[in-house]
Amino acid sequence: MSMPAIAISGLRFAWPGAPVLLDIKSFKVGAGEAVFLAGASGSGKSTLLGLIAGITPCDTGTVSVLGERMEPRRPARRDALRAANLGIVFQLFNLVPYLSPLENVLLPLFFSPERAGRLTGAGQAPEDEARRLLGVLGLTGDMLERRATALSVGQQQRVAAARALIGHPGLVIADEPTSALDHDARDAFLALLTEECRASGAALLFVSHDRTLAGRFDRQVDLVAINRAGVAA
Amino acid sequence: MRWPLLTLALKSLANRGVSVGLTVLSIVLSVSLFLGVENIRSSVRESFNSTISDTDLIVGARGGSINLLLYSVFRLGDPTANIGWDSYQLIASAPGVAWTVPISLGDSHRGYRVVGTNTAYFDHYRYGRSRPLEMAEGREFERVHETVLGAEVARRLDYGLGGHILLSHGIGDVSFAEHSGHDFEIVGILEPTGTPVDRSVHVSLESIEAIHVGWESGAPPPAGAQAAADPEALVPDSITAVLVGADSPIRVLGLQRQINTYRGEALSAVMPGVALSRLWQVIGAGETAFKAISLLVVVVGMTGILTALSSGLNERRREMAVLRATGARPADIFALLVLEAASIAAAGALIGIAVTWIALSLVARGVAARYGLDLGGTGPGLTELVVFIAVTLAGAALGAWPAWRAQRNALADGLSIRL
Repeated sequence: MSMPAIAISGLRFAWPGAPVLLDIKSFKVGAGEAVFLAGASGSGKSTLLGLIAGITPCDTGTVSVLGERMEPRRPARRDALRAANLGIVFQLFNLVPYLSPLENVLLPLFFSPERAGRLTGAGQAPEDEARRLLGVLGLTGDMLERRATALSVGQQQRVAAARALIGHPGLVIADEPTSALDHDARDAFLALLTEECRASGAALLFVSHDRTLAGRFDRQVDLVAINRAGVAA
Repeated sequence: MRWPLLTLALKSLANRGVSVGLTVLSIVLSVSLFLGVENIRSSVRESFNSTISDTDLIVGARGGSINLLLYSVFRLGDPTANIGWDSYQLIASAPGVAWTVPISLGDSHRGYRVVGTNTAYFDHYRYGRSRPLEMAEGREFERVHETVLGAEVARRLDYGLGGHILLSHGIGDVSFAEHSGHDFEIVGILEPTGTPVDRSVHVSLESIEAIHVGWESGAPPPAGAQAAADPEALVPDSITAVLVGADSPIRVLGLQRQINTYRGEALSAVMPGVALSRLWQVIGAGETAFKAISLLVVVVGMTGILTALSSGLNERRREMAVLRATGARPADIFALLVLEAASIAAAGALIGIAVTWIALSLVARGVAARYGLDLGGTGPGLTELVVFIAVTLAGAALGAWPAWRAQRNALADGLSIRL
C-alpha cells in the first residue's frame, strides 16, 4: 500500500459551457490517510469527488487512485476501478430503496468480482462480512432484512458506511455524510467511520463545510487553498 | 460473480407494485384479447374449411362453383336449375363412384331449409376431420312424413322428439303456402356440428315428392285433390345437387371431367376443398381485419410499459447515482431498465396466455355443444410461444427508450444527485 490513495496533478475541469471550476496543481492523499477536505457548497467539491471516483472523466491533468489512473477515454475501466477500490457515502438517500440493508451492503461485491474476490480470497463469506460490518456500526437483527426506507437517517448513513467499507477498498469518499444527522449521531457516526477505515486500512477523504469535525482526521485541507480556479474567480 | 441484474430488476418492480401491476394487467388484457380472437378466428376458419369433408365432388346444374357450394352445402341462395333424376342415376352408377347423396332443396320450415335426401346422407356426410353425423336423440327417417332436425333447429325452436311440424313451400321466413295436411313427425335430432347441417330440416326424397303431389303447376293443389300417394311410386323427376364419393382419389379428376362434359345435361362438378378455399378468399378479408385490430390492441396495451418506466425516471435518479457509485456501469443502468420492461412484458404475456387458456377451456364445452366450434384445441402451443417471445422482445425494445434516458441522466448527474 505504498501507492498514494489519491494523486491529482495538473487537473483543470469545467462543465460544458461553464467557467473553469477546478484547477488543482497537485493534491495527494496517502495510503490509509484520513483527510478532511473543507469546502463550502458550490465550491466544486462534489465535482472533484466525481472526478476522483471516475464517474466524471478528467480531460486535463491526471487523477490516479491507488496508483491506477482514471483514464478519461476508458469509462469501463474507470467503472471497474471504482467498483473495486472505492467506497462512497453520500449526504442523504444512500440506499437503493427496494433492497434490504443487507443487500445494499452487498451491492458493490456484485458489481466488482475483484472486490468480492478479496473477501473470498481471505476466506470471508460476503454475507458474514456484511453482517459483521453492520454489527460494528450498531445495526443488527431484523433491521438488516427490513426495507431500507424504514430505517432512520442515521441508520441509513451507517448502512452506507458499511457498504463503502465492504471488501476492503483502498479509499472511502464521504460527501457531507453527517450533515443530516443531529449532534450526537454525527459524532458517533464520525467515530465509527474513521475507526473502521483505520481498521481496514482504507484511506478516507471526508468532505464537509463543518470544520468542527476536522479534529478527528490526520490532516485538514481547504479546497479553496488548493483550487486556483476558486482564487481566480 | 456479477449481480444478477434480473434479480435487481424484479425487486425494483416489486417495490412499485401498483403501477407495475396495472401495466401488467393492461398487457394481460390485450394479450388475452389477441389470443382469444386468434383462437376463435382459426377455429372458425378450420370449421369453415371443413364444413364438408370426404366428399370428392359436388354436382349441380351448370353454374359457378361458389354458387353451387353456397346452395348445396351452406344452404344459402338459390339453385339456378335442377338436375334430372336420370342424370343422377347415371352418376350413381358410373364406374369409380363409391357413393352418392342426392340433395333436393326448395322448401323450408320457419326459415330453416328443408333438405330432401336419403339415408346415405347420414352415412356419408362428413365434416371436420372426417367426423360423421351423429344422432343426439332418436333415429334416421325411415318413412314418408318423418324428419330429422339439425341441432340448431331443435334448440332454437324448442322442438323435441315426437313433435309435429309443417313444411312451407319456398324458402322465405314467412311463407303463406304451407304444405298443410302433411304433418312431419320429428324422429331424430342431430348432434351439433358447427356446419349448416345444424340449420337443416332433413326429410326423405319421397317425402319431398309426397308433399308436392298436385303442385306441378307451382301452386297449392285444390283442397281434396291430394292423392293418397303410394310411397313406392314416389320417384322424383329431379333433384338439386349430388354429393359424390369416389372409389379412390385418383379417379376424382376423371369423374369431374366426365360430368362437366356430359352431353345429356349441363352439369357442373366441383371439388369442395377448392370451392371452399375460393369462398374463404372472398369472405376471409374480415378475418385479416380482426387480426390487425387485436394486434393493435396489444401494441396499445404495451405502451403502458413506457408510461410505467418513464414516469418513475426522475424519482429514480438518486437510485441510479447510488448504483453508479457502487460500481454499476452505464450499461448496467441501461440493462436494468430494459430488463424491467421485458419482465413486465413477459409477466403480462404469461398471465395473458394462462388467462386465455383457462377462459377457453371454461367455455370450450359450451361453445362446442352450441356452435360445434373446437376452441383451444390442445392448449397453448406454437402461437402462444411466439406471442410470449414477441411480447417480451417488444417490451425490451420499448424499454430501450427510458433506459437510454436513464443512462444519459446517470452520466450527466455524476456523483451529484439532485434532491
